[in-house]
Amino acid sequence: MLSEREARDALRSWVASKAKPEASGRIDDATPLFADRYLTSVHVPELLLLLERLRGAPIDPERLGPGDFHDINTIVRRFCTPAPGRLPGG
Amino acid sequence: MPEAPATETDAKPRLAAAGLRWHPGLGQATLSGPLLRLAADCDRAFGILAGVFGAEEELHPAAVSAELLNRLDYFSSFPHQATFPASLDGDEDNLAAFAADPFGETGVRLTRLAPVRAVLTPAACYHIYAAREGEELAAPTYVTTVATCFRREASVEPLVRQWAFRMREVVCAGTAAEVRQFLDRARELADLLCRELSLPVDWEPATDSFFRPLTNPKFLLQKVAPTKEEAVFGGRVAIASVNLHHDHIGSAFRISRAGEAAHTGCLAFGLERWLYALSSSYGEDPADWPSVADAASCAVAAWNRT
Repeated sequence: MLSEREARDALRSWVASKAKPEASGRIDDATPLFADRYLTSVHVPELLLLLERLRGAPIDPERLGPGDFHDINTIVRRFCTPAPGRLPGG
Repeated sequence: MPEAPATETDAKPRLAAAGLRWHPGLGQATLSGPLLRLAADCDRAFGILAGVFGAEEELHPAAVSAELLNRLDYFSSFPHQATFPASLDGDEDNLAAFAADPFGETGVRLTRLAPVRAVLTPAACYHIYAAREGEELAAPTYVTTVATCFRREASVEPLVRQWAFRMREVVCAGTAAEVRQFLDRARELADLLCRELSLPVDWEPATDSFFRPLTNPKFLLQKVAPTKEEAVFGGRVAIASVNLHHDHIGSAFRISRAGEAAHTGCLAFGLERWLYALSSSYGEDPADWPSVADAASCAVAAWNRT
């Protein structure tokens, strides 16, 4: 598993690469990624794969819940911090 | 559909005298008498709620273009629910072959089919979006419609889960903020109607019945960022829902608002499910049934006071 800092940087880069160029400058770690449509459903599978790579463990889609992908802060807290017992699929 | 097992509940026997006739092989219900009048009363009530938004009434045909639904990924998301109006290839020999032996133990013996270009609509609102293809909306647009909708189901239950059922919808197309405001208000109004009628409902986030859901990005997104909330009666039957489509439909149909793809959302009511909820709460004697339209008027008056 990457450090929290490394995971956060990787997520920021990935989100910036997927958002529309004119929008990427407006995204910070608390920006609602899907609710504000910076990301859409087509990005979900790739995000899951990225997170599995960053944390070095699979994610069970059945255990995903409301808000899990709300913003970068939430994603890092849910999936990229060393608390395996709280991780979906962990 | 004929193979679908029916789940027997108390709805069928207890409502037979009130006008419910169930077609078990088809998963459909016929309504007559007091029950049909209650259905009309419910629809009037929903129309009163739609009136709060000044929603324009539209009436659309039963079949919707398959090409339009394909644009919304309907077939990849819900292939198990699709019902197609099929017709025979008009070639005379093909028709003669069919006419000579049209029916057997397993049902109709189809010969060669004509190309299928339509679907029996699975929701009331699809026509509304298609009718506005390419439009630039100068203001938020509110429309209401009712339709008989078709969804093939693995199991059926009178008034609760049917192959064919009626759905009343109120649709808003506008900016993201306009649609969110509409959905907030729509949910409040639907909740007030339930309260006026003393129908116990819990509003719960919900997902649609996707095919192979865990591999469908749209389902996964509904799980992490819910776009659907249902009013669940008795812990199991959703009688109303509010649904946010973001700009998915606006983009597919090139409907724009304020220079961007329009956002859309809808409030939906399942008419038969309201009959189930009302008859479960008030009993099978029509004399005990409330006026749903009067309750809607009270709900709107209460909402105006807030």
